[in-house]
Amino acid sequence: MQISSGGATHVGMVRTNNEDCFRIASPLNLFVLADGMGGEAHGEVASALAVETVVKHCIEGRENPAAALLGEAKPGLTPKGRRLLSAIHLANQKVFQSAQEHPERQGMGATLTTAWIDGAQLSVGHVGDSRVYLLRTGQLQQLTSDHSLVAEQVRRGLLTATEAEQSNLQSVLLRALGTQPQVEVDVEEVGLFPGDVLLLCSDGLTRMVTEPEIAGTLQAEPVPQRAAEKLVQLANESGGIDNVTVIVVSFRPEPKGWFSWLRRGAHKSEGGNGFAGGR
Amino acid sequence: MAKLSLMFEEKLVKEVPVGSRPVRIGRSPDNDLVVDNLAVSNDHARVYFEAGRLVVEDRGSLNGTFVNDLRVERATLHDGDSIWVGKHHIKVDATGDAPLPYESGRKTTAPMINETMVLDTKVRRDMLQQAAAMGERTQFAAGRIRVPTIVVLSGRTDAKEYVLTNKLTTIGKSAMATIKLRGWFKPQMAAQINQRDDGYYIGSGDKIPVVNGVAIPGPTRLNDGDLVELSGVRLNFIVRE
Repeated sequence: MQISSGGATHVGMVRTNNEDCFRIASPLNLFVLADGMGGEAHGEVASALAVETVVKHCIEGRENPAAALLGEAKPGLTPKGRRLLSAIHLANQKVFQSAQEHPERQGMGATLTTAWIDGAQLSVGHVGDSRVYLLRTGQLQQLTSDHSLVAEQVRRGLLTATEAEQSNLQSVLLRALGTQPQVEVDVEEVGLFPGDVLLLCSDGLTRMVTEPEIAGTLQAEPVPQRAAEKLVQLANESGGIDNVTVIVVSFRPEPKGWFSWLRRGAHKSEGGNGFAGGR
Repeated sequence: MAKLSLMFEEKLVKEVPVGSRPVRIGRSPDNDLVVDNLAVSNDHARVYFEAGRLVVEDRGSLNGTFVNDLRVERATLHDGDSIWVGKHHIKVDATGDAPLPYESGRKTTAPMINETMVLDTKVRRDMLQQAAAMGERTQFAAGRIRVPTIVVLSGRTDAKEYVLTNKLTTIGKSAMATIKLRGWFKPQMAAQINQRDDGYYIGSGDKIPVVNGVAIPGPTRLNDGDLVELSGVRLNFIVRE
């Protein structure tokens, strides 16, 4: 599968500093996004530290697959899924330690959302309320569960999804990175199909832009970088009350065999983008 | 306007609209929906609109009120839900209702929180409890764990039963699919089931699934007992406990 990706982040229209952080590690096909919290500039410290830790741990894991794994052993995960789980546990430790060592950073933390692609296998690791969506056959499907109070109330049947969207308790998280010595991490693995589009985003997007608008933008704009910028712009046009960060990843079938030239031709006429040929 | 249809087995007994007045359900003859069965209490349950949503409330009945398969004290109803009282069930038809803007007392009492914050375990427990006490008290019967399952009724698949554990379950011939279809000319990705906070939604893939005899217009929430047909297989969505 051919993978192309793009990302964008913006401080928004209200806040003065951007506590979001993202990283596209393209040789690994690893995508990491964090939304920091905590007063002063500490949210930025937390999100940057979390992202850096995950990327480093995954690179180490690739070079040395036998490197020690942290966290609980979840059965049925692929090696990439296990590595991602371990990386998020490590990031939690690092952020927590940093807050302990620097009293002024007390209370800092972050959401952390990661996606790692291995062939047609996608592993998603996640803590907090940033989200991963998969756009397939025009339908936007959320691959993560928000670890927020309102989402938990919906799952328990105390609120409807619409009520949750209108609640003013949306910022209350039940789980975040770096606020406790241990954290529970969700890992989800799904198979990918050609044509799938993956979206990682901070809550600055999902609170401002509706799911149908997101799906429409991803469908209308086949170049990931431009789609990411368009989504950030949409969030800001709708008010931009929070930092907004978006990563878009698209999958195209690998041209192979005797009909590859046919496919390449089709791509050009269909999307008109310059990426159809190679990486 | 929302409509309630009292059914016994598959026979329609009575149909009533839900208006501004609550619909009373019970055994005594002064109810709007009279259910003549000893398992049903005189004043068993009520259905009414509250803040734009359809709500069922158990009136302290002896044998309980169930929505789909869950015993409830109070619950929000959705289109297609079934309320069970004794051996009768009441089908909920909420189509054509314009959803009213939701307003509740919770808004005025809850503090406005702009900054993201995290609840530690104790505060979290208190807050969830408080929210439960303030709002609608949906009570799950103690100790029940719900296991959403797809049972294959007919057609060739790699297993007869699948427990839905993932956020996204794909149905198709592909090696990447969770529910693998067997046979020639089966689509790689026929359909997909997405777990959202409020339930499981089936959406189309290369095919449009037929749920309870109707081709779905878009992602559709699956209710316990729904029958799904696509690509020559018949699947039954059930929630085990």
